Amino acid sequence: MNRQATKTQTHKERSTPPSAHGEPAVWLTGSALITCLALVVVTMFIIASNGLVTLWPRPIERITLRSGEILLGLPMGSEQFTPAEQDSQRIAELVAAGDLEQAGEDGTRTRLRFRLGNRDIGRDAFVWVPEYEIVSRDRPEDAVLVERDEWGIFIGVPEAVIVRTRSTESASSQFNPAGTLSTEFGTGPALREVVGESDGIRTVDSAVRIAQGPAETLETYSEIHGSFAKRRARIRALQKSEIPSVQDKLAAIDWRVRRAQMDTDIKPSRVTVPVWIGVAMSSVGLGAVGVGLLRRKHVTPLIAAVRTLCVLLAIAGAMFAVLERPIARGGVSTERLAEVVAQADAQRQDLRAQGDGLLAEIRTLEAADETVRLEIIDPGLSRFAPAEQSRPDTPMRLSQARRLIQSNTLGFSGRVRLYLTRWWDFLSRPPGESPGDGGVFPVIVGTVVLTLLLTVTVVPLGVVAAIYLREYASQGIVTSAIRIAINNLAGVPSIVYGMFGLGFFCYTLGGYVDAGPGEAAIGGMPWWTLIVTLILVFALAAALSAVGADRGPVKGGNGLWSKVARSVSLWSWLGCAGLAGYLIWTTPYFGGFFAEKLPQQPTFGTRGILWAALTLALLTLPVVIVATEEAISAVPGSMREGSLGCGASRWQTIRRIVLPAAMPGVLTGAILAMARGAGEVAPLMLVGAVNLAPTLPVSGDAPFLHGDRTFMHLGFHIYNLGFQSPDAEAARPLVWTTTLLLVAIVLGLNLFAMHIRSRLPSRGGGI
Amino acid sequence: MSAAMNSARLSGPWSGETVRSDEDQSVLAAIRRGERIKATVHDAVHSEQHVLNIEDFSLWYGTSQALFDVSMPIPRGKVTALLGPSGCGKSTLLRSVNRLNDLIDSVSVEGEITLNGSSLYGPRVDVIDLRKRLGMVFQKPNPFPMSIFENVVYPLRIDGVRNKGILRDACEQALRGAALWDEVKDRLAKPALGLSGGQQQRLCIARAIVSDPEVLLLDEPCSALDPIATQRVEELISEISERYSVLIVTHNMQQAARVSQYTAFMYLGHLVEYGPTQTIFQAPALRETEQYVTGRFG
Repeated sequence: MNRQATKTQTHKERSTPPSAHGEPAVWLTGSALITCLALVVVTMFIIASNGLVTLWPRPIERITLRSGEILLGLPMGSEQFTPAEQDSQRIAELVAAGDLEQAGEDGTRTRLRFRLGNRDIGRDAFVWVPEYEIVSRDRPEDAVLVERDEWGIFIGVPEAVIVRTRSTESASSQFNPAGTLSTEFGTGPALREVVGESDGIRTVDSAVRIAQGPAETLETYSEIHGSFAKRRARIRALQKSEIPSVQDKLAAIDWRVRRAQMDTDIKPSRVTVPVWIGVAMSSVGLGAVGVGLLRRKHVTPLIAAVRTLCVLLAIAGAMFAVLERPIARGGVSTERLAEVVAQADAQRQDLRAQGDGLLAEIRTLEAADETVRLEIIDPGLSRFAPAEQSRPDTPMRLSQARRLIQSNTLGFSGRVRLYLTRWWDFLSRPPGESPGDGGVFPVIVGTVVLTLLLTVTVVPLGVVAAIYLREYASQGIVTSAIRIAINNLAGVPSIVYGMFGLGFFCYTLGGYVDAGPGEAAIGGMPWWTLIVTLILVFALAAALSAVGADRGPVKGGNGLWSKVARSVSLWSWLGCAGLAGYLIWTTPYFGGFFAEKLPQQPTFGTRGILWAALTLALLTLPVVIVATEEAISAVPGSMREGSLGCGASRWQTIRRIVLPAAMPGVLTGAILAMARGAGEVAPLMLVGAVNLAPTLPVSGDAPFLHGDRTFMHLGFHIYNLGFQSPDAEAARPLVWTTTLLLVAIVLGLNLFAMHIRSRLPSRGGGI
Repeated sequence: MSAAMNSARLSGPWSGETVRSDEDQSVLAAIRRGERIKATVHDAVHSEQHVLNIEDFSLWYGTSQALFDVSMPIPRGKVTALLGPSGCGKSTLLRSVNRLNDLIDSVSVEGEITLNGSSLYGPRVDVIDLRKRLGMVFQKPNPFPMSIFENVVYPLRIDGVRNKGILRDACEQALRGAALWDEVKDRLAKPALGLSGGQQQRLCIARAIVSDPEVLLLDEPCSALDPIATQRVEELISEISERYSVLIVTHNMQQAARVSQYTAFMYLGHLVEYGPTQTIFQAPALRETEQYVTGRFG
């Protein structure tokens, strides 16, 4: 009791300072997070809202201007603007005449944006129309939007369907320039003209209007359009795939003949067959001995040296056997060459006949296609949509109108259906002639194939490198330097990677694959000196690696001599590897796999998807290495010790304990690499991406993945659309849509990878 | 106390002489001063068959020495406890037996350790093979993030055994030997990390005995466990010591007294006294030993 009283007397008031409560920090950190999230959300929202509305069907408005001009277009929005000086006087007149209201407080007026289409008859793609110039606006029911494969959209009023027929009659009968004719598609008034007369036969061309006026035209179109679309598709298939395949086969025949000709020039090998067989067999034998010794558990240093020597000699012998193949009798003989040429000629004839047949089929189909035409009139210019820009007097073919949309009569469900159909077209069709036409299917394929190739290359390489760096390399100054270098790789501008990829992968490596090292001589020395040097250096390396063998922690076991021996042994291994590389690089007997196609058509010696994937793999390598290293070092040492205590070797511990535990972190690194690689554009511009690729990089015929083909890439396509297309304004909406697509694909790949990662049971340690 | 001292027979340069208490005081002081001392090893130790023989073993971490000429034979089929205050080198000595200290770059050793006569530090010794003949259990239970079954058969898998039947039998035997079978036999495929601390430690013991090691090395196996789990593990150790010779490091005197037949007292890297547990606890030759085991210091 007494003590308590004393306590209350001496109790002092204490208050914690406000900074100790940490409340300012809560608001600060929270706001920073909200800002970041907001940035991401707003970006995504802008992309999505702009990208999604591009394909939404809009109504067609007809505007009559004070000048009398009539425009048919799609309304695209409005904005406030300040009229130019020269217009302000006119505006003042209009206001004074009572035709126009006063401007708002800020003196600005509204102007409306319209998309016009009809580029091939001279209209701009987009116009801004000031509101004060507009006399009337309405939405006519018979206005249609025509989706075409070339020259973009056409907006007009359908007028007629015209069928052209050719008939003959006797020259003596009276020629009737007009009349009613019936064709297979319908009956109607005709205009006839004579095109030729001979042998008493008059040839007459008739143009029959089987439908007149918007309603009839639309009805007739929807009836007969299907067969025309099918025919057009067949023509396209013939042009785009069957004829090119015949051409490819013809080219392949040419290459075969050329290859046979080149093969007649091969010099016979300097190595005779018995010597070659001896070397091959002894290397097999040595390899067997070495591998057998590898399985022994208890080795003396002598046995270790012998074992290494056997394995290395076996490898050297195998390399020699492969690189210095004895080629009997100088390659292809002249008789064989004549045979090949004759065979080729016969095949060429067959193929040419085939090609001629295909061309004839195309001509027939096109002739049939030409017969039916569609007249769609632009009321403002009083002109119809032409078949080609250079032939403005011929109305467009019916098959050129891929879709006729009566925009103002579509209900909501009609719009939704059209919207989805347009998306499907966008995703599944190949692109058209100018950027913005057609779809992006090959672009998607190219992007996805590139990203998958890149991931498959970079993840194993990076993970293995990171394992060595973290587990095997002694953590000293050299390892730290390597780590710093790898981190700096991440900071190199990506276009530099493109230059490197072009120079090294495409021209150097690709050139080697195509045509070999050429006649690179080995310095004028007898061919066997290099082999002998290689063997001697190997032997030295093997001996020293055994002598300098680690004697464990036993004191005095690591004297200066064994340190020197170990370092000499390491350098001789490296020297051997370098020598071996040089041998492979300069062997005069490798003539390349595609030398016959040079110099017109390099296969791997030019841009292609394989080199592009390797370049991007190099670019994203630091990401994978750093992420894997972090994941590996997060595995607790107690687990490693436990495994080693059970008698596991270092590699078994890595494979069974460390790597599985680090797998979530490794996959994180792989996801980051994939996302980064999918979005890089600059290096691709140099090493493989093109505006319009003739083929897909994957196909049904072997070898299924064609690494030498160029490809299209979404990022590159966006750049193309935005900056390289002749009509940037018209392409702008598609830029947003393609961006949305790219974001969606990268997001999709990430989600897929995260799904795989989440199926791994979460381990202790690692993110 | 002096009577007990008189009745013990000592080996080494002290043999035949009774030791006076004031000289005993100087043993630990001498160690602290950096002098070398001769360990007091009771004769009873030598009369046993030895499975491990540590001869003049010294270890350096870089330039600082951690073990000073330790010589002690470990008897077969018995539990030997290494006792001593923190930093006395008992864990280091234990890890030297299965050469786990090799993982530390700066370690260098001198002297010899033999297992059933064959040297462990010879130039041709396969360290991996060696570690398979010794089983180790660590202070903190470290089961792998796998199922219980996979944990137990891990040493067999890395040896290349793939026959499911053999693995299952070995797993059951090991788990029975570790007194864990009844508790986990229905959930062998469940993750091992879901077990309680005591169960995890017994799992680690099962993992250590599954490949029939010659010696079991236990590094303070109960220090992270609660009293009940500790009791179970101690019972287990007593049971299995007949099949496997056990070398256990502990800082808990009562545990050493309960579990071991032979006890070695170490101080600052030196072996001070080594003999039968009964003798060490009831009639130690050195006064310092008696002071330590009765808890008066350390």
